[in-house]
Amino acid sequence: MRDPRYDALAELVLDHSLRLQAGEVLRIEGEAVAAPLVVPLHREAIKRGAHVYAALDLGGLKELLVAHGSDEQLGFVSPMELREMDAVDTSITIWTESNTHSFSRADTDRRQRQLAAQRQVAIRRRDRIASGEHRWCGTLSPTQAHAQDADMSLDEYEDFVFRACHVLDDQPVEHWKRVGEQLQARATELDSVRELRIVGEDTDLTAIVEGRSWRAAYGRQNVPDGEVYTSPVETGVSGTIRFRFPAVFGGREVDDARLQFEDGRVVAAEAAGGEDYLKSLLEIDEGASGVGEIAFGLNYEIDRFTRNILFDEKIGGTMHLALGMGFETLGGQNRSALHLDLICDLRREGEVYADGELVWRNGQFLEDPQPARPAERVR
Amino acid sequence: MADVLVGFCAAVREGDLVTLESTTLAAPLLRVLYHRVLEAGAQPLPRIALEGLTDNLLRFGNDEQLAWVNPARKDDIESVDVRIALEAPSNTKRLSNVDPARQARYERSAEPLRNRYLERAAAGELRWVLSAYPTEAAAQDASMSLPEYEDFVFGAAFLDDPDPVARWQEFGERLDRLARFLMTKREFRIVGDGTDLRLVTEGRTWVPSNGRENFPDGEVFTGPVETSAEGEIRFTYPAVFNAREVDDVRLRFEGGEVVQATATRGQEFLREMIAMDDGARRVGEFAFGLNEAVPIFTRNTLFDEKIGGTMHLALGTAYPETGGLNRSALHWDLICDLRSGSEVYADGELVYRDGRFLNGSS
Repeated sequence: MRDPRYDALAELVLDHSLRLQAGEVLRIEGEAVAAPLVVPLHREAIKRGAHVYAALDLGGLKELLVAHGSDEQLGFVSPMELREMDAVDTSITIWTESNTHSFSRADTDRRQRQLAAQRQVAIRRRDRIASGEHRWCGTLSPTQAHAQDADMSLDEYEDFVFRACHVLDDQPVEHWKRVGEQLQARATELDSVRELRIVGEDTDLTAIVEGRSWRAAYGRQNVPDGEVYTSPVETGVSGTIRFRFPAVFGGREVDDARLQFEDGRVVAAEAAGGEDYLKSLLEIDEGASGVGEIAFGLNYEIDRFTRNILFDEKIGGTMHLALGMGFETLGGQNRSALHLDLICDLRREGEVYADGELVWRNGQFLEDPQPARPAERVR
Repeated sequence: MADVLVGFCAAVREGDLVTLESTTLAAPLLRVLYHRVLEAGAQPLPRIALEGLTDNLLRFGNDEQLAWVNPARKDDIESVDVRIALEAPSNTKRLSNVDPARQARYERSAEPLRNRYLERAAAGELRWVLSAYPTEAAAQDASMSLPEYEDFVFGAAFLDDPDPVARWQEFGERLDRLARFLMTKREFRIVGDGTDLRLVTEGRTWVPSNGRENFPDGEVFTGPVETSAEGEIRFTYPAVFNAREVDDVRLRFEGGEVVQATATRGQEFLREMIAMDDGARRVGEFAFGLNEAVPIFTRNTLFDEKIGGTMHLALGTAYPETGGLNRSALHWDLICDLRSGSEVYADGELVYRDGRFLNGSS
């Protein structure tokens, strides 16, 4: 059964995110359960003259690998897949899972080793993305598993996803270009800020962002999208923060985490649920207790927590910190195998001060950003 | 089934790279295969297909796209040690309305890959097995319910036997003896209703197909001398190729080439396929089906060509291990029931009648 909303999402990803050209090679990757999106993506890419193929996995297989694989099997990196990363012009990752909790009972160390091997492929691609040789986008096709995580029926969840992606708009590509202009202007404004102070429920945190550049995320690498983010100065985060929303990492949750920072490092961590897991994550490596990202979620169609970071970090009116890996291209120097996004709801009682001036209250920037200078406008 | 596929058919060994290819419908069997491959110390690499993608390409692709060879597939064929593929269709007729010329172009693009794959297989560098996971679509084609069809599939594979591997080994020995017997013959003549065809196999190898590369299995095949086919043949079963069907195919051969091809249904498609390239007009394979546990036609070549008491010809590419030289983007098996009123003569001597080799032949 064809659903025009999936067609529209496919067209948005191909035309706005990837700007796919005839003759280019596109790899679509994900679980086969994402078929409702894979098929229209493939069809629309064919119609655009591209050479397209899908590299599909089946839910339940990696679980067998983690449960039964030898050290060698766990650490195996497919040489063919590495070569694919070097060869293809563009790729789409569909993060859809048939079961988001299938690794909950798996041995953490074995799962980490399997993920580390898998990451080799992503790193190869990241380098090509950074050098402009490869264009990539990550998105999601709704499934029962994700609907269940969001406490919704599949029907409701589809509505939620397609609204968040703005594919029900008359001209989705135009919408995301406008978002790009607004967020670009906001990022430019934040570029001149030295220090941010976030104040909210059990939260009073200072982050130095001087010298770092802010990046607008408007549907190029994620669909849906809608955030501005940077990597704060590594030693410049101090104070306390409470994350009301559960943090989800590796299929496991940390509830209501509270962190205390001194000079950029976590010095105290507690959580109402999963505290041991949180502490084990902080010990993954040296960089895991440092901050890699600070960001504002600005997609106001995403108005609730759905246990999926693709959406949650963009909830309009929130900010998030990520523990671990920072963004090198934005000046971030923190390095870690971890990148744990923790989301702080600033919608009801939240204030943000930029160099002492109140710029945000209750989930909104107080003023629209000044339009970006023409040279910096989004093409 | 997974145990036999991994342990016996593909004989997966430690360190092998093993692709597991099928559609999502075969997920239950794919998961067990994946586990068995891990247990064998090898690396399972899932390659999951969605039928809809081929449909997209054939419906909307331009000539350049139809002819494109996916480098990732090429790399797989060059790199892997074992390939386990399962048929698991959701709709076997989904390509019925595709322009045959476009389909032929698409098939031609896959030819270099197929040749390279058969070459590595013939050289012993790549082991492969093609099998089937029962689906509603395949059951429907066989005019059965899914439970009936499952029984048929597992029965054909001797999986209802307490020791399937022993059964296959025993059956394999019988096929070996028959292949050795056929190797002593130069020329064959097949006679039946609408059929009187001669083929020369001198200097070619008869290969016993004993459950290694097809599962289920049960045939002996060779690649006949390319210029030798003379006469006519009427195929009693519908010819199924790429999710399409052609009925009552009759071919006339002269000097090894098809000079006349008719069918009561799908004649245009038949002629388009035969015109695909030079090799598509010649016989690449000549074989006898010998699996008595496959008694009926089910519109699936994997099974139909093994029906005990049948023979088949394939138009198009030959298997290199037979010594057959014909090369084509096509390999289309056409099957003829020999169980009533048919005879086969080898070097003038009657060796086969009504679906069975006569005493002393096997």
